[in-house]
Amino acid sequence: MTHTQDKSSALAQGLTVFIFLAVLTALEFGIALLVNSVVLLALVALVKAGLVVYYYMRIYKLNQEEHEEGRDSYAYKTGTSRLGLWLFLLSDSFVFGGLLISRFNLLGLTRPHLNQFLGLAVTSVLLISSFFMNRAETSIAHGDQKGFLNGTLITMILGVFFVAGVVGLEWQLAQVEQIFASGDSAGAIFYMMTGMHAFHVLTGVILLFTVWNKGRKGLYSAGKHWGVEAATVYWHFVDVVWIFFYPALYLIGALR
Amino acid sequence: MKNMKPMTRALWLLLFGLLAGYGVGLGLDLLVGGRVNFTASIAGLFSLLIGVALFFLGLVGYRTIARAIVWQIAGTLGGALFVTAIRALMGLKAISPPFLFVEPAWVFGGLTGVICFLLGHGVVDDWIKMARGIEVPECRADAPGWQKYYSPSLDHKVIGVQYIITALILLVLGGSFALIFRTELASSGLQFLTTNFKLFNQNGLQFYNTLMSLHGMIMIVSILLGIAGLMNYLVPLLIGAHDMAFPRLNAFSFWIAPPAAVLLLASLILGGFDTGWTGYPPLSAKAPIGMQMFFLGVFVAGWSSILGALNLIATVVRMRAKGMVAFRMPIFVWASIATSLIALTATQLIGLSFQLVMFQRLFGMGFFDPAKGGNPILFQHLFWFYSHPAVYVFILPGLGIVSELLPVFVRKPLFGYKWIAMSSLAIALVGFFVWAHHMFTSGMNEYLRVPFMYSTLLVAVPTGVKFFSWVATLWKGKITTPTPMLFVLGAIVVFLMGGLSGPPNATVSTDLHLHDTYWIVGHFHDTLFGGFVFPFFAALYYWFPKATGRRMNEKLGKLHFWLMTPSFLVLSLGMMRIGLLGMRRRIGDYDPLQGFDATHLVLTIAGFAIALSILIFIVNLVISLKRGEPAAGNLWNSRSPEWQAPSPLPAHNYDTPFEVVGEPYDYGLPGSKYVEFAKK
Repeated sequence: MTHTQDKSSALAQGLTVFIFLAVLTALEFGIALLVNSVVLLALVALVKAGLVVYYYMRIYKLNQEEHEEGRDSYAYKTGTSRLGLWLFLLSDSFVFGGLLISRFNLLGLTRPHLNQFLGLAVTSVLLISSFFMNRAETSIAHGDQKGFLNGTLITMILGVFFVAGVVGLEWQLAQVEQIFASGDSAGAIFYMMTGMHAFHVLTGVILLFTVWNKGRKGLYSAGKHWGVEAATVYWHFVDVVWIFFYPALYLIGALR
Repeated sequence: MKNMKPMTRALWLLLFGLLAGYGVGLGLDLLVGGRVNFTASIAGLFSLLIGVALFFLGLVGYRTIARAIVWQIAGTLGGALFVTAIRALMGLKAISPPFLFVEPAWVFGGLTGVICFLLGHGVVDDWIKMARGIEVPECRADAPGWQKYYSPSLDHKVIGVQYIITALILLVLGGSFALIFRTELASSGLQFLTTNFKLFNQNGLQFYNTLMSLHGMIMIVSILLGIAGLMNYLVPLLIGAHDMAFPRLNAFSFWIAPPAAVLLLASLILGGFDTGWTGYPPLSAKAPIGMQMFFLGVFVAGWSSILGALNLIATVVRMRAKGMVAFRMPIFVWASIATSLIALTATQLIGLSFQLVMFQRLFGMGFFDPAKGGNPILFQHLFWFYSHPAVYVFILPGLGIVSELLPVFVRKPLFGYKWIAMSSLAIALVGFFVWAHHMFTSGMNEYLRVPFMYSTLLVAVPTGVKFFSWVATLWKGKITTPTPMLFVLGAIVVFLMGGLSGPPNATVSTDLHLHDTYWIVGHFHDTLFGGFVFPFFAALYYWFPKATGRRMNEKLGKLHFWLMTPSFLVLSLGMMRIGLLGMRRRIGDYDPLQGFDATHLVLTIAGFAIALSILIFIVNLVISLKRGEPAAGNLWNSRSPEWQAPSPLPAHNYDTPFEVVGEPYDYGLPGSKYVEFAKK
């Protein structure tokens, strides 16, 4: 496939990927309800993560050659920054990997009693935010300042909703279910995983705010928007983490 | 005051600050505790912090590092007071002896202190400007003279020197901790670290534990900073880059380390801790507040390591000179890549494991508390997933230095270049799958023992490749032995001993006997001296002329080597001997009937001899800096690009770019060339 697309087909691609992700999320929920197979859930999560990493985070850009433009060019420096960002994400994913392993070590194939509706709701909010993030980046890559600003703003608001949903609602509801941070280890790992993830969403929101703020001043263009790309990739990374955390906390295994 | 030399003024202010801080702390402690306690933690902490702050104020005035430390103190107090105020409003215990603030307040204060250090220092100023949309110049000139070493310089050579000086300071600090408890160990029975001994709310036994634990971690941080210093200074020079890929991140990676060191020292003062450097729960979940400062300090230092590694990988991937394909990179660059891959990824897990214990203490979260369904063994898995590969982080750059310098002083090509390049990566890779060999006696699932035994023994293969290469390189070479070469040879011998004493620990049946004995202590001191300390000194003697334009004194250098090497061999062999006979590690006393008194006395003397040799090195460093013999050219007759340019190099390194036209280590082959500089 070619990666240089016109704007409408790029936006259409973002939408297609979003629909696939939404269907897969529904499928995931169905699997959990009907067969509750860990292998299938893991498989679906991997496919979802693969879609996001390839189409939304555009990992293939790491492979781009910018040599012909010279080492002092913006393109070459952006390539270096891109590598640095991905290395950071690789490093960060070890934190989340460690948390996932801790979760399976402590809980095995059981899960805490959480509010399923709320879980699906915050997952959807984050998924929709990724769609708008993709729109924002696609817009600025084609010079559409307005689309970029609107997309970023919506993503930011959805991010705030997500944090509010997890920290403001889910944590309160969990306490009604007698899941406490200072209770048993199941509670501890639940608050730790959601808390660490919410912290990353929050930093993502701050990043998006700086990008939006700079965007209002007109500091990004179709040719120069590394800041937007960085915030976008980071935002999708946080989404990928949730793609694994959501089934691990809400779907996999039997209720405790 | 105005007419004094900065250093004299700084030292007077240091003295004044130590006394004034002590007085302030004593007063506060009296106010809270209601009685005068001359060894109070608060008095010690205020004394140290205000002393250091005034020292740097005297040295550089209210800017850069001095402002950073003032801000760190203010930030720590501010953060702690903030939490204290909230707790007071909630009706919780807010201010209490013996540490003035309660634990959550100290932890939050420690964290805000680090952030304020960075803000006060100015190392994040550019990023704040960028985030606000203000243009910042690509690079900026350094302050003239020595002031640049205290400022957020972007020059990788300056940052390299900053790293190395900090590493040496921590080396001396960690070493002096060792001397204190080594003295206690010189004979059986308790001599001065007794129950009557009182310091910082610890008795002698607790203080022994704290010193022993901090010796471990301070040395580890010192090593991490030392290798970061070498990599920072050398890698851009070796690959022909004008700087690291991300100069601001580079400065940040260094400047996050000093506040981490302050936190580690604070752990000594705030009640200490008694877990050893590993910080295993459940003991670490119960230790005094010092434990939290220790965890926080390591967590922050970890970020220095992670971000430095990230920067290094990006630099090597993106900024190599023309013609420098992978298999023409210097071995040290290969080793740096291997080391950075581990530091980049695995470090997160020691951070996570320590963070989990911190939260367990702060919020009662039961990750590692069996009473709450937690699992203490899980901590050990998370911890060793970093802390075993970490030892390869420590040694791989050192082994790279050995391979780098050996051909220069043997005047022969390095034997098996490709094999040695790949062996570093192989060690790093295998290193990810061996962690549980630290846990053979921990009560983990028994079926894990044998696979981890074999994976551990597998490490010997790539390590053996290195030894074959070194021996084959030495074979029939024209060996000369100036000081750097002496340290290279010392490294090979000492690391060989460290390597040979490894398999008995990796083998389950013998490890069940050897676990937690002095044999282990002897083993890892051998690997770390052979893998880091000796190569580190070799590198300092070798590249000192590159950095300063002067060479270090040969006579003092040789004295350093010939004092340190035999002393160290006695130390490590003696440790292994009593370890085999049953001496436990981490204890302050032993039964005289075991008959270890004589050996322990010899070990203590050897320890002091090593300290003396380090003192000689530091004297040499200071003297040579001012009066060393000028050496601007290619002193060692090396093929490496940095020696083809004058010393010291200016900012952004080479005047003209070079191109790699041959193999890096073809010493003694007539007409062969490694690099060719472009004409001006």
